[in-house]
Amino acid sequence: MTLASFLPLAIELGPQGFWWMNVLFLVAIYSLLGLSLNLINGYARMFSLGHHGFWAMGAYGAAWFTIQFHGHMPGVPLFLMSCVFAMGVAAVGGLLIGLPCLRLRGDYLAIATLGFGEIVRIAIQNSPREALGGSLGLEVPRVIMDVTRKTKADFRVLMVAIGFVLVALTAWAIRNYIRSARGRAMLAVAQDETAAGLLGINPVRSKVLAFVAASAVAGLAGAVYAHYQGIITPLEFNFMEMVKIFLIVVLGGLGSISGCVFAAFLLIFVEQWLAKLPADAGFFKDWWQVEYAAILVLLMIFRPRGIFGPREITDVWRDLKAKWAKKRSAA
Amino acid sequence: MSDVLFSTHAVTKRYGGLTAVSKVSLELHPGELVGLIGPNGAGKTTLFNLITGADTVSEGTVTFRGEDVTELKDYERAGLGMARTFQNIRLWPDMSALDNVQTVYQGPRGNNGFGAILRLPGFKRSERRIRDDSMKLLERMDLAEHADMRSVDLPYGEQRKLEICRALALEPKLLLLDEPAAGMNPTEKTDLMHTVEQLRQEFDLTILVIEHDMKFVMGICERIYVLDHGEEIAHGKPDEIKQDPKVIEAYLGGAE
Repeated sequence: MTLASFLPLAIELGPQGFWWMNVLFLVAIYSLLGLSLNLINGYARMFSLGHHGFWAMGAYGAAWFTIQFHGHMPGVPLFLMSCVFAMGVAAVGGLLIGLPCLRLRGDYLAIATLGFGEIVRIAIQNSPREALGGSLGLEVPRVIMDVTRKTKADFRVLMVAIGFVLVALTAWAIRNYIRSARGRAMLAVAQDETAAGLLGINPVRSKVLAFVAASAVAGLAGAVYAHYQGIITPLEFNFMEMVKIFLIVVLGGLGSISGCVFAAFLLIFVEQWLAKLPADAGFFKDWWQVEYAAILVLLMIFRPRGIFGPREITDVWRDLKAKWAKKRSAA
Repeated sequence: MSDVLFSTHAVTKRYGGLTAVSKVSLELHPGELVGLIGPNGAGKTTLFNLITGADTVSEGTVTFRGEDVTELKDYERAGLGMARTFQNIRLWPDMSALDNVQTVYQGPRGNNGFGAILRLPGFKRSERRIRDDSMKLLERMDLAEHADMRSVDLPYGEQRKLEICRALALEPKLLLLDEPAAGMNPTEKTDLMHTVEQLRQEFDLTILVIEHDMKFVMGICERIYVLDHGEEIAHGKPDEIKQDPKVIEAYLGGAE
């Protein structure tokens, strides 16, 4: 679908359209976060709990860059350069935390990365007002509004389009990477590190690469998010966000790209729908915080490997078709 | 026999107060097939770990192709042409048999991440060659029909063969086999024995093999080292080893 065909839709739907655009944009952002965390927790089988830290680094990196150069260059290049800058900041962060921490295994890595994510948030919160805005947050100049007709509807449609283009590119890049010599080396290290080392694969390099690449994508998600929101505050990047991202990865199936996007849509849609309900909606409204926990528990009981497991949606579709064909021929 | 492909010089490994390997010196010449035997707990696998870099030596040096490799990491030694199999099978379980082999091919002919993501022509060429070479190896070991099966789903004997196959993908000079015939029935053992001998010729290998099956070791090894309690107690041709009183004592116990 092109941008042009989205536009009338958003305007026609009115306030509903805004709501939908907002949901779709968040789905794109959380898909990016899920896809990148899936690289670490799914394919490389490490256990990172610091992804919200890289997301925050990207968002603040882009915001800072945009504020610095606002007015010195046109909107589109500034937007693009701030995204690249954000990826760089997050990648450097990934490298700095990755090099010492990837020697840790399992739970220990989880604890170290969790600490890192919290440090990023708390550091921003306590930063001087004029540097990163402290706990009040940063206002990001609306540089990309120039391109659209300066209305909020157009802007949202454009951001949704950018978001999904990035999701598609990321999914494509990860899929291609996994199906290559480097990708196989990464899977080998994940499945038996000792054997991988003894057969000529450098395990540390393989892990650090996965970690840095995932951090960069999380940073990119942060940059686009910052431009969309207009104001970012440190409290948005709290540990509950990490839980959400982790849940998306597990729900979709560790090591499944399409599962990740599917799970992001499911979770964000439910979350936003519940938030939209009137305050007196009763049970559902009051208990929405229990939602994540309940999903996790149900998932572990009925589908411990995620909705799709390690497979892709195309594999699931093919299996279903084969099943139906069998049924039909039997009948 | 003058040139030496590989040697250890007085390597020792201590775990706290326990000396697992004590001052062992081996020497392998190009093209040799040498056995390493000894009772359970003699330190054979520990010695393999010291040779391949899976574990660090406490004392002594390891030399490979004229280079002191004692300080090198395991993957660096592998890159020099040293490949091994494992006593307890260590295939990558969730990968297909073909992928297990293809993964190892990556070192010498690696293609980079950017080429992979953008699917550049150079990447595709390289992948095709890796695939073809891997299939050839699988065919050589009669595993081609199982190429797409998850390695963990293969029958036990085939898994052992796949481990050898995977090691060969490294295009090694030195191949270390850690109990390759363990758990196989007599027919499979005999087959494997012939295969190992043929592979040595075909791939121009030097082989060091740990094996408990005496028929296997005596049948194909030109020389044998015997370890007991971490020390080398004998070394020589199979016939000499068979008659060595120290070896008999180590295996059957002394007549005190």
